[in-house]
Amino acid sequence: MSRGRLTAFLRGFWYALMLFLYAPLLVVVVFSFNSINSSARFAGFSLDWYKRLFANDVIMQALWNTAVLATVSTLIAVVIGGMLGYGFYRYRLGRLSWLVWLIYLPVIMPDIVFGIAEMTFFVLINQWLGILAPGLGTMIIAHVTFQVPFVALLVNARLLALDPSLFEAAQDLYASPWQRLSAFLLPTLRPAIAASFLLALTLSIDDFVISFFTAGPESTTLPIYIWSAIRKGVTPEINAIATLMIATVFLIAMLSMLGGRRRRTSDT
Amino acid sequence: MPKLARDTQHLLLTVTPGVLCILVFLVLPSLYLMGMAFLTNGPYGLPTLPLSLQAFRELAGFGFLGWSPGNLYTLLRSVWQTLLATLIVTLIAYPAAYYISTRPARWRALMLLAVVVPSWTNQVIRSVGWMNILAPGTPLADFAARLGFIEPQMGLFPSQFAVIIGLVYNFLPFMVLPLYAAFEKLDMAQVEAARDLFASPLSAFRHAVFPQTLPGLMAGVVLVAIPAFGMYVVTELLGGGRSMMIGNLVARQFAQASNWPLGAAGALIMIAVTLIGLKVLRNLGRRLGGDREVVL
Repeated sequence: MSRGRLTAFLRGFWYALMLFLYAPLLVVVVFSFNSINSSARFAGFSLDWYKRLFANDVIMQALWNTAVLATVSTLIAVVIGGMLGYGFYRYRLGRLSWLVWLIYLPVIMPDIVFGIAEMTFFVLINQWLGILAPGLGTMIIAHVTFQVPFVALLVNARLLALDPSLFEAAQDLYASPWQRLSAFLLPTLRPAIAASFLLALTLSIDDFVISFFTAGPESTTLPIYIWSAIRKGVTPEINAIATLMIATVFLIAMLSMLGGRRRRTSDT
Repeated sequence: MPKLARDTQHLLLTVTPGVLCILVFLVLPSLYLMGMAFLTNGPYGLPTLPLSLQAFRELAGFGFLGWSPGNLYTLLRSVWQTLLATLIVTLIAYPAAYYISTRPARWRALMLLAVVVPSWTNQVIRSVGWMNILAPGTPLADFAARLGFIEPQMGLFPSQFAVIIGLVYNFLPFMVLPLYAAFEKLDMAQVEAARDLFASPLSAFRHAVFPQTLPGLMAGVVLVAIPAFGMYVVTELLGGGRSMMIGNLVARQFAQASNWPLGAAGALIMIAVTLIGLKVLRNLGRRLGGDREVVL
């Protein structure tokens, strides 16, 4: 195959790949505006599903729960994970270096095992102590636990890319640890913190399995609502809910692209 | 305060919350779950003493009605579907990653983002998308029916075909990203040299491209195969009973069937198979890549 034909083939392949990747999302978005409840035939444009969705208290509660779960767990995970990534970098752990393996544990553990382990553990604690009843609280704990390693790895990677002498310079320049934190560390790590915030947020939004097993009766999120609607066979508003969540993800993608562009221009 | 003591204090301050979080909310629950596999199933499906290997016997298929191979089939099917999906993902990701690496630099970040963004949407929504496409009456289903693959008026799901599509769709970006990283560093001089020596495209690929992209490929296989093996959502929504995987078997014991020890034993097997898989990949990578460490 000549070079020109190879390039033409690859271009065609790329467009086919884009079709494969975006067709399922596009179908969801298009049929959320369908005037009839069908994913086989588009009968006309309407906003009926969205009107019904915003009039449905259960769905509105699920939307609120989803937003609270994602933002609260992400904020906690960025703080805890950032400190962990920094601690592992700054104080070479010596005898405690095996602790680094802890970071990889949540990464390689299958979702389903993770979720079930958390659920059985929460049930046990709840029987003994009466705390940690399944609900938003247990979901936030579970989400933070799987977000922390990713944040720690990102922050750690950024620190490893820095010149170590910067830390000594900062030590000479600023007297107290707090000054060093606010004048040197946080500004230097801002791109990594922003990136890990977005990563943790998408991890939380993407998750279904762990939420599903740690949720309580009052803490249904949008994916859990969609799941049980499919199971019961009632599916009308599902495409509209899914469209809202797809839109959120594209918003995050645009933010991360803007952040990436700003980072590149500020580096040069 | 002496420097050493202050350093220790800082260390504890920064590391403790994260380590504690993982220890208490992941390590402890996992240990509890593993222990549960050795308990007996109580009258309400909750684990009770005495210690026994009952759960493992049940998992191997020994029940009230004698031996049945169902669970073993499920385990084998999980491995088979994981391997098939990983192979298809690799075949798609290689040309895609190569193509991205040949584009002008300003386009590459955007193209990578285009590959990754769909995987940021919720797993359930991705499956709903495929349910829409594969449902009865859609153009794709009609086309398949006309070709005689399925009965008329039927959908393309639930089926093993739909499960494989779902797996490939979910994990494709995890292969494209590491392969792209490998292609970006590719030493084209080696490929040119191979072509100059009249190597066929295939043998140029085998001797010049493949060894250089091997670390990326191995990383991708780990990132794809591990979560694919533990898949729950796709098999539950797009598959029927005949494409069920081990994750579904495990989950069922905690939801409908209520046999926690059996489910825990299944989870233990999942972790064991995952670790064995990692080990095999590590050895394979070492064999293929000489002495270089290619995985983890």
